[in-house]
Amino acid sequence: MANQPVLIRAASLVKRYGRRTVVDGISLSVNAGEVLAVIGPNGAGKSTTLDLILRLRTPDEGTVEYAESHLRRRIGVQLQSTPLFPGFTALENMRLAAAFHRLRLRDAELLRRLAACGLADAAKTDAARLSGGQQKRLAIAMALVHDPKLLFLDEPTAALDPRARREVRELIGSLAEGGTSVVFTSHEMEEVHRLADRIVFIGAGRILAEGTPESLLDAYHAPDLEQLYLRLTAG
Amino acid sequence: MFAVFRTLLIGQFRDAHTLFWTILLPFALLIGLGLYFDEPGYAERLLAGVVAVNILFGPGMVTPFQVMTLRNRGVFKLLRAASLPTSAFIAASALARTALSLVVGACLVAASAVGFGVKPTIPGLALMLFALLLGSVCFTAVGFITGNLARNESDTSMISNLVCLPMLFASEAFYSLEHAPQWVKIASLLHPFSHFVDLLSAAVHGSRQADTWTSAAALAGFTAVCLAVAAATFRWDQEGVRFRFLVKD
Repeated sequence: MANQPVLIRAASLVKRYGRRTVVDGISLSVNAGEVLAVIGPNGAGKSTTLDLILRLRTPDEGTVEYAESHLRRRIGVQLQSTPLFPGFTALENMRLAAAFHRLRLRDAELLRRLAACGLADAAKTDAARLSGGQQKRLAIAMALVHDPKLLFLDEPTAALDPRARREVRELIGSLAEGGTSVVFTSHEMEEVHRLADRIVFIGAGRILAEGTPESLLDAYHAPDLEQLYLRLTAG
Repeated sequence: MFAVFRTLLIGQFRDAHTLFWTILLPFALLIGLGLYFDEPGYAERLLAGVVAVNILFGPGMVTPFQVMTLRNRGVFKLLRAASLPTSAFIAASALARTALSLVVGACLVAASAVGFGVKPTIPGLALMLFALLLGSVCFTAVGFITGNLARNESDTSMISNLVCLPMLFASEAFYSLEHAPQWVKIASLLHPFSHFVDLLSAAVHGSRQADTWTSAAALAGFTAVCLAVAAATFRWDQEGVRFRFLVKD
C-alpha cells in the first residue's frame, strides 16, 4: 500500500465551533486501493475530520486536496442512520440514491446491485422492516450506486448481531479486493484489525497514532488493538 | 429530479401523518362542520376554510417532521456529497406535496359541490388554483423554517403548533372576526394564513377585485419573506448552526 497514489491529502486541518476546537491540526492522506480505519473515542473529532475531507464542512485552517477534480463525484458515503428513507422499499431507496447522483438506472440494474449486496429477495420490502444487517447492506448498496472510487463508511457494523456483522465485513472485504478504496470508522477493534490496511487513531482532535495494525502493535508493544486503544485514550 | 418527485409523491400515500392531516382530516372537517352548521352561506366559507387548513396542516405541519427526520438521518448531508443539488431535492419534495394538496383540494371542491351545492365559477377555480400554488409554497417554507429550528420530534411538534395554531384561530377560516377584539383583527393581518383564506374565499364566492389583489399581494409578500427565512435557517445536519448567515458552517 505504500506506493499507492494519493487520492485525498488533508493538511493541518483545524475546525472550531465557538470556543471549542474539534479538529486541531490533523493531516492525513487517503491512498488508492487501501482500507483506512479512522478510530477514536466519541467526541474525538472523527466525524468532523471525515466531513472536512469529504468537503461537507469548511475548515477554519488547513487544506484538503483531491488528486482528481472529479473525485468528489466518485465518492460514496454510507451514514450511520439506517434506513435512509423508511417507508420506501429497498428498490425505491436505490432509485432515490441513483437520482441523487443523477443516474438513470433501470430497475433491472438496481436489482442487480441489490443482489450484489445480498439483498435480491428484499427489493420489494419496506426498508424499515429489513433486519439491521440488511439495512446496513442497503446503505452500502446505495453508497455504491454510482460505482465510486472511494467509499466512506460510518460505523458500518454498529448495533449488528455477530452474523450480520460478518456479512457486512465480508462485503467490505470483497469491495476492497475489487479495488475500491474504503475509509471506515468503527469501535470494533477486532474488525479494524481484520479489515484495515492502515489505522489512524484520533483523540481530542489530534492524530495520536498512525500506521498499519502490525506496526502500531510493535511500536507500542501492545498485544492487540483494544489494549492499544485503551492506552492511547487513557486520561 | 423527476425520479425524486415521483418516488416522494408515491411515498406520501404510505405516510400515516400525511394520510391523516392532509386527506382524512380535511374531509372530516368538511362533512362534520357542513352537516352541523347547516346555515345559508356557511358552506362556501367552510370550503375555503377546509382547503386552506389542508394546506396549513400538510405543508405547514407535516413538512417540519419530514425536514427534521431527513436532516437527522443525514439525507441533506448525503446530498452535499452527491451531484443533485439540495435545492433540487427540496423543490421535488415541495412539488410532491403541492401535487397532493392540489388533488385533495380538487376532491374537496367536488365533495362540496355534491354535498352542499357549492359551485365556484371557472374564474373562481382559476383563482383557487393560483391561491393553492402560492399558498403551498408559502406554507412549505413555513414548514421548513419550523423543521430547521427543531432538533427533535418534541421541538417540531411544539414549534409547529406555536406557529400554525395562532394563525388558524386569528383568521376567518371557520368564523367571522367581525366582532373580535381589535387586537385580534390586527393580528389577523400580520400572518400569511389569513390572506390565504381571504384569497380562497374570493375564489369560492367572489369579492371585490381590489380586495383580491390586496390578499394576493400580501400572500406573495409573506411567501417571499418565508422563503428567505427558510433559506437562512437551513441546516445540513444536527451540528449545523441555525442562522448560517451569522456564523460560518
